[in-house]
Amino acid sequence: MASYAPAGGALAQARKGVRSDQRAELLLGALACLVLALILGMIVFVFTKAWPSFSANGLAWFGTGGDVDQQLTDIFNSPANPKAYVYELRAWPLLYGTALTTGGAVLVGLVFSVLAAIFIVEFAPERLQRLLEPVVLLLAAVPSVVYGLIGILVVVPLVRDAFISEERKESVQFVVQLDGSSLAVAVLILTVMIVPIMIAIIVDALRAVPRQWTEGAAALGVNRWRVMWTISVRAVRPVIVAAAVLATARALGEAIMLSMVSGSKGFAPNPIDGITFLLEPTRPLAATIVDNREGLSAVPLGQTIYAFAAVLLISSVFLSFAGWYMKRRLRHVAIYGGAG
Amino acid sequence: MPRTRHFGAVVAGAAVAAVAIGPVSAQAKTTITMSGSTSIAPLATKLARGYGKASFRIFQGGSDIGIADVSRGRVSIGNSSRDPQSSDPGGLQFNRVARDGVCIVTSPSNPMSSLSIQQVQAIFTGRVRNWSDIPGAKVSGTIDLVVRTPASGTQDAFQNIFLGQSLRVSSSASQKASNGLVQQTVRSNKNAIGYVSFDFAKGVSAVPYRGVACNLRNAKSGQYGGVRNFWMVTRGAPKGATKSFIDYVRSSRGQRIVASDWVPIR
Repeated sequence: MASYAPAGGALAQARKGVRSDQRAELLLGALACLVLALILGMIVFVFTKAWPSFSANGLAWFGTGGDVDQQLTDIFNSPANPKAYVYELRAWPLLYGTALTTGGAVLVGLVFSVLAAIFIVEFAPERLQRLLEPVVLLLAAVPSVVYGLIGILVVVPLVRDAFISEERKESVQFVVQLDGSSLAVAVLILTVMIVPIMIAIIVDALRAVPRQWTEGAAALGVNRWRVMWTISVRAVRPVIVAAAVLATARALGEAIMLSMVSGSKGFAPNPIDGITFLLEPTRPLAATIVDNREGLSAVPLGQTIYAFAAVLLISSVFLSFAGWYMKRRLRHVAIYGGAG
Repeated sequence: MPRTRHFGAVVAGAAVAAVAIGPVSAQAKTTITMSGSTSIAPLATKLARGYGKASFRIFQGGSDIGIADVSRGRVSIGNSSRDPQSSDPGGLQFNRVARDGVCIVTSPSNPMSSLSIQQVQAIFTGRVRNWSDIPGAKVSGTIDLVVRTPASGTQDAFQNIFLGQSLRVSSSASQKASNGLVQQTVRSNKNAIGYVSFDFAKGVSAVPYRGVACNLRNAKSGQYGGVRNFWMVTRGAPKGATKSFIDYVRSSRGQRIVASDWVPIR
């Protein structure tokens, strides 16, 4: 339209354009501030709600002692009088369960996804590559409740029949019940859930490694595997860290699936038990929040659940910082965010 | 010219909007909203379909959520599958609309002929941990307890009906977040025992309690002991559309719908 207008009009148009640019800048700035305010507001809100639980327990909140499920029941059954609210909670089994499931899944998933990404980028035949990449993206989009269903209908009974003998059950029967839903199944399915997104991210990064680098190495007579391992994977280390951070965040927040297959029991699996350790039930924080949603209207339980939410929120903030710091440390070899 | 076209588009848009809104507002029915017990939700859905004189929005969330919602005026009716507690907000009226059984269930490969109250208590508190200590059990080995999470209405019913105030479910029991998950776990594990709402006893073996089978007939006649009440909770006495709906539910027509799967109150 501007091209048909006389010169003066074009100038006016241009000036108007500058002004609308400024307006857009202001608008976007305001939106960004709004997001920031929203996040801050959320953190403040969650902590205000959670405060009674933290202040009643002090640092012992994070400690061990007693049966955490019994403590949650007592909190739920608090009398109506606010002065008599029960808050006693030792949340260690839940924190430990979160760390075990998340850490286990991310570690296993990291190894698996780096190897799978190398295969897809470097070794898979063209046609397989064209098939694998959309399948990986599709898997990344499957809702977690579907994984939960498959877990409880297929994997849990399989694990029970294959690994849980009567002797194994009796060895721990006064402490905990083994029925197949366990730490191992939780880690397994969580790994399956987070691996696709990690593969997708790492594949993109490996593709972006400059060809001269890998070709240069190949020209020196290095084989494909060593080129991949010593050049490409090294170059994308910051991206691998980013993928791990993203996967950890997803694993931390996963609730429904873990509530279904982890055994949903506030129990800290004991590594001394050998293989039984993997078959013991546990329950991470996010799954605890989902499991107790029916009791939110009991005020002290609601505040305790907000305390769980606060811990998850802080963990993810720390996670972001840790990821950012590690990416900075690795910047000298990076193809993204610096020296590349 | 562009300005005129723009104006025309606005007029056209407004016209379309008016046509779209018109018929909706013309035939709008009163809407009754409900939230609360997941156990009551299937019954509430059936009753809503049978009533037809209002439109319904039925949410779940658990008895406590229903009670909290109705006391804050977020819904017209809060569904509760637990009896009134002293900690409930004031000014609520609990209207009994039905009764519901809690069945003790075992795996289909381990049907039990009867359990006494003492046996139920011994099993669920963890005093007896092996099926070989239970006369009449078809399996041997450890007893796997499958229970509901502490905040659920079904757990509340089981606690009140079978355990009383002083006993507690064994701390080693595995907790499930819904009746369906308990049903699924008990069905697939031959050593399991659990409890479910009446509606979920299909596909598993319901254990007769004190010699009385857990079925609808025995619950209706009052012989079966494991029964609890279903309440539709309102803020103050029910009024207007809510009142006519609750009257309908408690009428003989409403109770016929209740009787399809639940226990009528008369």
